[in-house]
Amino acid sequence: MKRKIRLKIRRHRPGSETPPRFEIFSLTIDAESSVLDALEMIQGGQDPSLMFRRSCHHSSCGTCGMLINGDERLACVTRISQFKGGTVTLEPLPGFPLLGDLAVDMTPFYRDIDEGWDYLRGAENLGGTKLPDGVERFERFENCIECGCCVSACPVAGEEKPFMGPAALAALNRELQKTEEPATLPLLEQAGSERGERLCNRTLACSRVCPTAVYPARHILDLRTRLRGGRREP
Amino acid sequence: MEHIIIIGGGGAGAALAHDLTLRGFEVSLFEKGELTSGTTGRHHGLLHSGARYAVHDRAAAVECIEENRILRTIAPQALEQNDGLFVALSQDDEEYGETLLDACRTSGIKAKKISAAEARALEPALTPEVRGALQVPDATMDAWRLAMYFFATARRSGATFHPFCEVQGIDTRAGRVTGVEIIDYTAGKTRTVKGDLVVNAAGAWAGRVAALAGIDVPIQPGPGVLVAVEGRVTNMVINRMHPAGEGDIIVPQRGLSILGTSLWLADDPEDISPPKEHVDRITALCARMVPAVGEAAVRSVWSAARPLIRDAEASSPQQISRTFECYDHKVIHGVEGIVSLLGGKATTVRAMAEKTAGLICHKTGHEIPCRTRTTPLIPWRCFFSDAPRGGLPRSAP
Repeated sequence: MKRKIRLKIRRHRPGSETPPRFEIFSLTIDAESSVLDALEMIQGGQDPSLMFRRSCHHSSCGTCGMLINGDERLACVTRISQFKGGTVTLEPLPGFPLLGDLAVDMTPFYRDIDEGWDYLRGAENLGGTKLPDGVERFERFENCIECGCCVSACPVAGEEKPFMGPAALAALNRELQKTEEPATLPLLEQAGSERGERLCNRTLACSRVCPTAVYPARHILDLRTRLRGGRREP
Repeated sequence: MEHIIIIGGGGAGAALAHDLTLRGFEVSLFEKGELTSGTTGRHHGLLHSGARYAVHDRAAAVECIEENRILRTIAPQALEQNDGLFVALSQDDEEYGETLLDACRTSGIKAKKISAAEARALEPALTPEVRGALQVPDATMDAWRLAMYFFATARRSGATFHPFCEVQGIDTRAGRVTGVEIIDYTAGKTRTVKGDLVVNAAGAWAGRVAALAGIDVPIQPGPGVLVAVEGRVTNMVINRMHPAGEGDIIVPQRGLSILGTSLWLADDPEDISPPKEHVDRITALCARMVPAVGEAAVRSVWSAARPLIRDAEASSPQQISRTFECYDHKVIHGVEGIVSLLGGKATTVRAMAEKTAGLICHKTGHEIPCRTRTTPLIPWRCFFSDAPRGGLPRSAP
């Protein structure tokens, strides 16, 4: 069923003399339309200068994270029909440098994620009793799509803040889980550094907003437990 | 060395930037949106073994298997290397399977016939109606990260990338292209960029770009619908053992299963809303192979526009070859200084780049061998960690 909605989008170009403003676009969408579908309609028909990031359209690439009605979400898998009322508000992810409009620069996200950390892991057991000839294990990509939603939602992480943030700590813990001693030592040192897990204040916003069920807060708790000799905090 | 301007920031542009910088050229790439925002990011994520093309499109099949082997060695972290199955559900399928097995052998694709019981021992989610299968070296790719591997490596070699910069004009003087007119959406300004040679690598948008130079290229956007459902129910790519058609592939990726696809011919690569009936048909057909995907919750539905090379002789859109061509417009249209890279697919972007960079070397009088077959790509994360803090480089070349 077609429906008329309004998208209220924060517009700004760094370096431009025009101050940030919200611009309202009216459009007609389908019941199934995602926020990304709506943005593409606007860019294709109303304003080609609208800046936003996108690629895979199915929550695998991690490029279209943004604030949707105030929450960190992926535009591609957020259906507009779930929102009551006729207006959806879109803003860029806070905590990252702005490229323009809804597009942010992800450079700070990778500050504490080593380029060489393994992005593959053993796949879940689906009940098979054999492996194909020539395949030593079934493998799959890690769940984290590096979208930045958790870093944006974290009250103690951000571009100018010292905390390495939930995504880096979750990735670090995954790497640690795949690493044998003594190669674990530098990873533990990094997790326990003054920019590491100690700065996490357990708000759990990271796990709440994660669109791909990484639950970074669990990884941080794992690291905290391991660094404190296996004792869990009360 | 010559300054090469690439128009289009998809996989082809990325791989070409990598090849050209390795050969020593100065490279600037312009993309109207974010990098990989066109077809590249949004295909099903299949690293083709070539088996899908082996029977009717041998050229594409041979290209696919060769590139499949190369990408496994130069970008392993962008791939889930679990192989694939072609599964037979009917007697017709089984008969096609014999043809397919022969065609794989003559194309150099390692294919192994396995029984229905073996197939279900590998993948218990397959329908009990499966009658037999072929194991082929398909794999899953992370469509975005594979392209970003090329971008990261090219950036480290000195290429500059300009996302959110749309080419609005191609400048020519006396029958020779001299540069491009850009609107830079990050600054809200237009500017001229001079170059020695312009490459149209705009994929399904290549017709629009060529038109800016008054050139007609035979590109036809061929969109198809994709459906991502929740749940990883197989580890191998599952294909229907029948001639290329609709609803005949399931690509597992992370915790999702990607169902594909359909094909129609469009004039506008952006006017490709997924028709509802395609979604229903694809889901039903894929569920015949793996019933669980028919019951799963839908995560996302979208379309991607293939960059097909027009072919009036093809009996159906599925029969249009998925190989690629690079066109020197000096030879075809009398316009010097511009080449177009047409057709192709994500699996073969490196080969597309090799051929195009070879043509550019020929045109500029250089004899520099291609090194991309054996040069390991640096991980996608380096694209960001290599960038200067505070933003991507924005300076005009």
